[in-house]
Amino acid sequence: MLENTGIPTPEDIDSVFPSEERLNRGAIIVVECYKKIPCNPCYTACHRGGIRPFEDINDRPVVVEDNCNGCGLCIGKCPGLAIMAVDMTYSDTEALVKLPYEFLPMPEPGMIIKGLDREGNFITPVKVIKVLNTKAMDRTAVVSVAVGKPFVRQIRNIKVEPVEVRQADDDVIVCRCSDVSLGMIRGLIRKGYTTFDEIKRLSRVGMGPCQSKNCGPMVLKEISIMTGKSMEALTLGTYRQPVKSLKLGEIADEAVRGHSK
Amino acid sequence: MMKTADVVIIGGGISGCATAYFLAKKGVKNVLLIEKGYLASGSTGRCGAGIRQQWGTELNCMISKHSCDFFETANEELEYDGDIEFKQGGYLLVTSTDKEHEQFIKNIEVQNRMGIHSKLLTLEEAKEIVPFLNTDGLISAAFHQKDGHLNPFHTTQAFADAAKRLGATIMTHTEVTGIDVENGKIRGVRTNKGDVATAVVLNAAGGYSQKIAQMAGVDLPVYSERHQILVTEPIEEILGPMVMSFSLNIYCQQVPHGGIIMGRGDENEPRDLRTTSSWQFLEEMALCATKLLPPLRNAKVLRQWAGLYNMSPDRQPIYGPVEEVEGFYVAAGFSGHGFMFGPSTGLIMSEYILGEKLTLPVETLTLSRIKQNKLVFEPSVV
Repeated sequence: MLENTGIPTPEDIDSVFPSEERLNRGAIIVVECYKKIPCNPCYTACHRGGIRPFEDINDRPVVVEDNCNGCGLCIGKCPGLAIMAVDMTYSDTEALVKLPYEFLPMPEPGMIIKGLDREGNFITPVKVIKVLNTKAMDRTAVVSVAVGKPFVRQIRNIKVEPVEVRQADDDVIVCRCSDVSLGMIRGLIRKGYTTFDEIKRLSRVGMGPCQSKNCGPMVLKEISIMTGKSMEALTLGTYRQPVKSLKLGEIADEAVRGHSK
Repeated sequence: MMKTADVVIIGGGISGCATAYFLAKKGVKNVLLIEKGYLASGSTGRCGAGIRQQWGTELNCMISKHSCDFFETANEELEYDGDIEFKQGGYLLVTSTDKEHEQFIKNIEVQNRMGIHSKLLTLEEAKEIVPFLNTDGLISAAFHQKDGHLNPFHTTQAFADAAKRLGATIMTHTEVTGIDVENGKIRGVRTNKGDVATAVVLNAAGGYSQKIAQMAGVDLPVYSERHQILVTEPIEEILGPMVMSFSLNIYCQQVPHGGIIMGRGDENEPRDLRTTSSWQFLEEMALCATKLLPPLRNAKVLRQWAGLYNMSPDRQPIYGPVEEVEGFYVAAGFSGHGFMFGPSTGLIMSEYILGEKLTLPVETLTLSRIKQNKLVFEPSVV
């Protein structure tokens, strides 16, 4: 029960969620303000009449579904972090959910992190789309995440921890020189390292005797798959000489021969 | 892009990331670090990654010792989820001239006075540490076990991750295009991804520090020059310490993954921002390294690259505020040893920016020393 645990029941949540019909029309806020308290910043934040005027400051906010466009201005204003916005039209499979967020570290766009339910349990990975955190918001950031549609009623918070999504081929060795697996490469891309040079320096991929001749294209392919950038837009970074390994002794002998000529 | 920041740090190398960490740790909100490439993509990621405390001036001994003490517990202090790969295999510095030998005796006196337990060795003793050392033409050696190596990418990453956890913002792939100064005060920084208003800017741009200073109308008396370096294929562990000689112009160390990193300077190097590789370096390096350490004849050169030394007139760093522009700070001119000074640099610059008392007495290393010609020369640089 809400009174005992602070966690709303599925019935509580249904009572504040917009209708399916309204959800399918586009972005709208969901206000999980379950108790009467003297508080109205959500009402004063909105310029569109998205919250019905309060008759008494203790009133619970009521969303005017036709006025609200889910812009999210009220999300950062609610001291109870009770408001989120949901856009079910974001894509065929995912909804865009805007959540208030007051912890550190801040997530960064592109990260795939943990989506949590109202009890703090990890439910499903979510992708960070946008982080709004201006000075005027006074450290209540609004984080937009893409959430699989079936999870929309469950996801209410995030944890900025890369999600280990195990894939069947994670153990495949991409770099035989330095023993780097596909899973390690994917982990770095998920953390936001999306150039070959960055991944090379943190994992040693491409630093061994093959000098990225074998592993390079495989890493680029993975970056392309995970970021959606085309292969043509990706580069292997600076190529270093010599093209093939040379013994220091051979170079030294050649230098002596050259000088005696 | 943030609209305002309390402090903007320009440069995502060790100096910038360490300063971001110390500022965030001390509670500064809105620290913004801007990096043109990616973290450690400049001098930090190109350096030889050696850590030594065997210096010739008290200041350098103090700064490097403080840094080394930090590195010993950095994985824990920074709560890094990787490994900074700290190896303390020592530095064996060899002498080949009488003058250098005399200098080492003086240096070791300074070092010992500063709590650094380095010692002078005979060539026989040096060969106990590196049995295949070719001592022909050498006179003596100096050794300090606590010197060594660190992975520069992971060390920088560790500082950056910790700074981010404490609330700092790091923007990579973002280029500073201008610095706004009004009535002698910093007003903001312009970038190719938007502008940010700020009253405090730290120039930690390494090889590009002079360019950044010019954006604020400041002429920084430093210049950059290329230094080349190479790494061999990984081989079994044969070399414990870094072997180094100022007179023979070589440093050479086997790093934990097995590759041997070596480099040398070139006194004819032009003063510009080039970081290309030359065949001439490869030949000179091969001749020098195979003479001093003959088994290296069989080590295969895997790759060579180059980075910039940002040289100051006395080869000591420039730390502190820039007098003519309020709110403008500089940490530059590291002359090839900025990486190993990183933790001290971060601490010093955070103290300058916050107006705190300096933990390390480095007041004599401000920019004004150069204008007043109060230089403190470091004799021991490759």
